[in-house]
Amino acid sequence: MSLRVLRWTAAALVAAVFLAPLLWMFAGSFRETSALFRGGPWSWIGGDGWTWDNYGEAWRRGALGRASLNTLLQVAVIGGGGLFVNSMAAFAFARMRFAGREALFAAVVVFVILPVEVLAVPLFFTARDLGLTGGYTSAMAGLTLPFLAKAFNIYLLRQHFMALPTALEEAAVIDGAGAWRVFWNIALPAVRPALATVVLLDVLTHWSDFLWPLLVATREETRTVQIGLANLFTQPPVDWGAILACAVMATLPVLLSFRLLQRHLVLTDTGAGIK
Amino acid sequence: MTRVRNRAFSIFVACALALAGCRSAHEDETRLVRVWAHQGQEAENKAMREIAEAFDDAHRAFGVRVELTFFPDFQYAEKLAIAAAARDLPDAFDLDGPMVARLVDAGLLAPLDAWIDEETRGDFLPTILQQGTIEGRLYALGAFESAAVLYYDREKFERADVVAPPDLEGWTWDEFLEACAKLRTAGIEAVALHMDESADEWYTYAFSPVVWSAGGALVSPEGDDVQGVLASEANVRALESWQELFARGFAATDPVDPDPFGSGTVAMDWSGHWMARSHLEKFGDRLGVMPLPRVGPEAAAPCGSWCWGVSATSARTEDAVRWLKWVTHPEHGVAPIVRANGAVPARRSAFASFPEYRENPYALFRRQLETVARPRPRTPFYATLTQRFAAALRDIARGADVRSRLETAEAEVQRVVARRRVRDGGVDGSAEAVP
Amino acid sequence: MSDWRRRQSRAAVWFLAPAGILLAVFVVWPLARSLWWSFHYADLLAPDGQPWAGGSHYSDLLRDPRFRRAFANTALFAVLVVPLQTTLAFFLALWVNRPEPAWRWLRVVFFLPTIVAMPVLAILWTMLYQPAQGDETGLINAMLGIVGVPAQAWLRDPLLALPAIAFMSIWQGTGLQMMVFLAGLQNVPRETLEAARVDGAGAWQRTRHVVVPAMRNSIVFVVTVTTILAFRLFVQPYLMTRGGPGNSTVSLVQTIYETTFLAQDLGRACAAAFLFLLLVGGLALVQRRLLREERA
Repeated sequence: MSLRVLRWTAAALVAAVFLAPLLWMFAGSFRETSALFRGGPWSWIGGDGWTWDNYGEAWRRGALGRASLNTLLQVAVIGGGGLFVNSMAAFAFARMRFAGREALFAAVVVFVILPVEVLAVPLFFTARDLGLTGGYTSAMAGLTLPFLAKAFNIYLLRQHFMALPTALEEAAVIDGAGAWRVFWNIALPAVRPALATVVLLDVLTHWSDFLWPLLVATREETRTVQIGLANLFTQPPVDWGAILACAVMATLPVLLSFRLLQRHLVLTDTGAGIK
Repeated sequence: MTRVRNRAFSIFVACALALAGCRSAHEDETRLVRVWAHQGQEAENKAMREIAEAFDDAHRAFGVRVELTFFPDFQYAEKLAIAAAARDLPDAFDLDGPMVARLVDAGLLAPLDAWIDEETRGDFLPTILQQGTIEGRLYALGAFESAAVLYYDREKFERADVVAPPDLEGWTWDEFLEACAKLRTAGIEAVALHMDESADEWYTYAFSPVVWSAGGALVSPEGDDVQGVLASEANVRALESWQELFARGFAATDPVDPDPFGSGTVAMDWSGHWMARSHLEKFGDRLGVMPLPRVGPEAAAPCGSWCWGVSATSARTEDAVRWLKWVTHPEHGVAPIVRANGAVPARRSAFASFPEYRENPYALFRRQLETVARPRPRTPFYATLTQRFAAALRDIARGADVRSRLETAEAEVQRVVARRRVRDGGVDGSAEAVP
Repeated sequence: MSDWRRRQSRAAVWFLAPAGILLAVFVVWPLARSLWWSFHYADLLAPDGQPWAGGSHYSDLLRDPRFRRAFANTALFAVLVVPLQTTLAFFLALWVNRPEPAWRWLRVVFFLPTIVAMPVLAILWTMLYQPAQGDETGLINAMLGIVGVPAQAWLRDPLLALPAIAFMSIWQGTGLQMMVFLAGLQNVPRETLEAARVDGAGAWQRTRHVVVPAMRNSIVFVVTVTTILAFRLFVQPYLMTRGGPGNSTVSLVQTIYETTFLAQDLGRACAAAFLFLLLVGGLALVQRRLLREERA
């Protein structure tokens, strides 16, 4: 009994430590800036200086309408399209034998290394040469196409494909199933949690993209959310309360997609693991 | 059902085609000037749009129209750079004053000398002309200027028995420190220096005058070197004096409140023209103002702001210059934008529409710009310089050794300068490679 | 079966083609272009047609104290983050791998920091690390004050800044690694575990001799990816300290970014990018050698 109490107390404590920064962010978004740092460790829970104004301020200054739609479209295309492209490649790396597999895969791992800040300039030139900047359609293509195939996602999915037991697939092959049917009907459904993870990571990454959308956009109608929000951080006065409100708002859509995908993630899958 | 939909669809396509046809026919007559601008405060953007509409109305007869696009201030310089690299700059764009030199260096700005006559030039504040002039040629003109001063609260001064200098003389550094000490003794926080500012530019802008007043500089007079300049004796002395403000607790190194003067906790505010309106509203007659204190004998003040340039690769230079003239015109451009953003008008004839410039703090803004204000260094490596200098200032405020910290910054900037030298000196004809 | 194998390698081409083409166009080709620039005095504002620079960008970078410092900082960051985050994530995964609903909530709690965008978190943690000024201070100092730890200037102290950033990064990234480990835990054979328990093996022995070997692939994956992501460090120091104080938190990616967009010396920036790629790529390959995966 006491062991159980101890275990739950420990769990609650660790959870509190993990959550505290996010709770502080949420609470802070309803506080006047002047009340944020005053009055000791617990003042952010109690105390005075509560206000709704931060949200109004953040929404007004961020101008988020059209930008939200653009970002949603961008994230949906990358998340959905990338899923196919990457899972197919990952499956090939995990399950098929072909010449140069090891070398090709090593190359993919090396590509994981490259952050967009490093590749931005030559990538922009490529996008321009292919006509992926400028007007609305081409800019939306420019926002999405370069990020469909993603080395990290290929790597992650391959790892999950490799972990699958091969018995089912072998049985299907003996029944005469082609590679596509093995992939589509057997392997893909089995790695559903990994697929959900990959989509979530894509949403997260591209939701917070700033540099690339700025470079690709030459018109205001191709603007994304982060570009709208950037204005808030750079136009004086820097208002911490409004920034926190804006941080909360920028997190909500990701939280929502997390909620939607949650069912598929290992996180809440009761079937997981050693019991 | 399907047929109906098909019919509707073809009608739609026909209409779309017709519309497209109309538009392209229309566009053949009007010449479109592409214009990029940084995104300012809401009122400023609104004013810019109205200026653009007025431009379109006034130039319909010439068949010229502008297409105005805003980009966030944050990483706007990156946006411009990569557009330039891809030969995709708009016909006209605005840029921060100190960036002019770099674009001129790459041959991307068209000289304006032929387009702007002597009389028009004489109407601009001298600092605006200096800011836009590189090696004797004019490349950029702005609609507004900036100023930084020391605001103070008369009531807090009285309580601490501090006397402001007469006739808008600035304090010497010793007088300034003495005043801070008195305030401190009276239990009043002395001065706000806005060290919470996340942008590098505030530091270079606000505190270069400290260095200048001591006879120091950020770059060599030719603007091509920092060796022996950035960590010079004068600079070290100036910034050691500046450091005392933090060491003796007169100014906060990590403030939280973005406007402690406005909220009444601090007696003096080392800040820009952009705070004038709100300070006046809050303090009225209690608000006093004086030039920034000086370390050495020279009075110095910062200046510079966003300005307009015309792309050297523009196919519509003449129309782009029309826009530039419009947006810097005293009535069409300067008056509406200054009304919106509260900056200092860049043209002398525009001051007539702003009666507040007969009184302080506004009168002081203008006086500084007409006499002691200096633009920040006009050099192609400014972006690196300002970032490293700002980093040094942050560290110095928090107690870093002034000399060695400046030496590090100097070495880092000089490395960038040296690479440029190697490139330019190493192979002949590299200048021709830049179109 | 050899027929199946031939069919397989033909199918592999089709499976790899979409990703292969996209990666070739949007990664390999831009890389080739920047390799070309890295041997020229390419100017960001006029990249092409500039004079040949040979290896001078590379040799200059290797002698540049700031670049070397950036490498040292980034390596130190990886050394702090990789072992701590991997171990923490591993034990969290073991801990929360229980069926009761409460534990599922705990998994979500650990994962939550991962889904908040890094720029947002960087700004949030700057506030949490806020040093004491008069009676105002950040949450972390306030909390530590309860236990009697004196207030620190976390991000302003050259010795504390990088560890503070590493701590925040571990807090943010652990949830993701934990999830990979949770998935890996599904491969642990329950029978073996049961047998070990019957044989009287303690929890620690079971973990060491049954769980760890069964999760080998997950561990290799997590270590490799965490190392790579650690080397990509940029947003946190760029937004929280701008690389300071001094150069104590400047990262490799930040130097590349600054060389590109501030110095606008594209040739040098591309050379830096290649040095970065070689260093980290080499490291990743060495790691793969050392921690061989089991082949499926």
